[in-house]
Amino acid sequence: MKGKVITIHSSRGGTGKTVIATNLAATYANNGLNIALLDLDFRAPSLITVFSKGIRGPVKYWLNDFMNGQCTIDQALVDVSKEYNLKGRLLIGLANPAIEAIHDMMGKSRAWEVAAVKRLFSLRSTLFNDMNVDCCIFDTSPGIQYSSINAVISSDLSIIVTTLDSLDIKGVQKMLAEFYDAFEKRTVVLMNKVFPETRIWSNGRQKELITQMEKALKRPIIGVIPCYCDVLQAKRSSLLAVEKSDHPFLRNLQEVAQKLEHID
Amino acid sequence: MAAGETTTKKSPTLDVNVLLKMLVDELNQVNKKLDLVIELNEKMLKMQEEFLQRITDKSYRRKAIKPVPDAMMLLSLPSSLRKTVMALYKLEKATAEDLARETKRLRAVESASANQLVRMGYLKKKREGRKVYFYIE
Repeated sequence: MKGKVITIHSSRGGTGKTVIATNLAATYANNGLNIALLDLDFRAPSLITVFSKGIRGPVKYWLNDFMNGQCTIDQALVDVSKEYNLKGRLLIGLANPAIEAIHDMMGKSRAWEVAAVKRLFSLRSTLFNDMNVDCCIFDTSPGIQYSSINAVISSDLSIIVTTLDSLDIKGVQKMLAEFYDAFEKRTVVLMNKVFPETRIWSNGRQKELITQMEKALKRPIIGVIPCYCDVLQAKRSSLLAVEKSDHPFLRNLQEVAQKLEHID
Repeated sequence: MAAGETTTKKSPTLDVNVLLKMLVDELNQVNKKLDLVIELNEKMLKMQEEFLQRITDKSYRRKAIKPVPDAMMLLSLPSSLRKTVMALYKLEKATAEDLARETKRLRAVESASANQLVRMGYLKKKREGRKVYFYIE
């Protein structure tokens, strides 16, 4: 777990990727670890909204600035540990939500993208050696785009978040076959928003579901998190891991967090 | 007109001369314009020829479309070469030995792979003392 970079990815939007990434980061920080959480979804920045309660004053440097070589990674990170009363440190790197910044990031050249991968690799030494960070989590954009591919390439482990929707499953299969297999990256799948009414789930045949999914996706299933209406309805600016730490969603995520610690 | 009245008519020859001069002037103008059209046409033909030569000339294509080892391009590379580029993303600058340590493959394999990538234009190499370093520009 220590010194690891984890990417949270999905084939399509709406699988709960950001909720998983933010709460996983907060869970680890609550357990006393120092975590850096980076918003690499430059087309649809979301951490700025999720952590709006914890960000004091204007953001001086965005993650965009780091990627553009205009600041160092430590300058682009905001420490929100005190605001959320966390045991460990939670440092967040925010993507700039301004339309000009999104437009700028969308028009980057292929040469810039090469430099971006190098930058993502290079931040490891600063985070892990100089800043005493235990783990870095990348929240990416869905599907195959430069920002998400660059994140996957430069990380040690990828967690693909998917629902049971057949479009999601087919998308993950395609993404694994056409992209992940080529890069031979360590990958696990997290099933999220699984309806408790699902036949196989309600009959207590969760193991059967996991076996089926592992067979279909050829990757280990790290967890199955049911769909909770209150999680879906919660404000985007709320952080469950802090506000409702006893929520069953968090208990499920805590199990995932523990399993992840045992992956090499 | 009353009888005995005289009229002062302009000489018809004079008019013809003026007309002829005007005609010559006009023709000169047309000639100049035709020269311009011919000149432009020649320029356009020359440009077309250059363009055709460029798109058929491999060396030009190599220069114009510089190979960039970005993530999307990596997908089109054979896995043996892809591994080397991935290792260089991480190491930034490395000898074949450094690459072998990173990819856990033989030094000779990495050397062949990196040199192949240099020939393809994706990597650069430079000599520093007795060591040869590969890097992504």
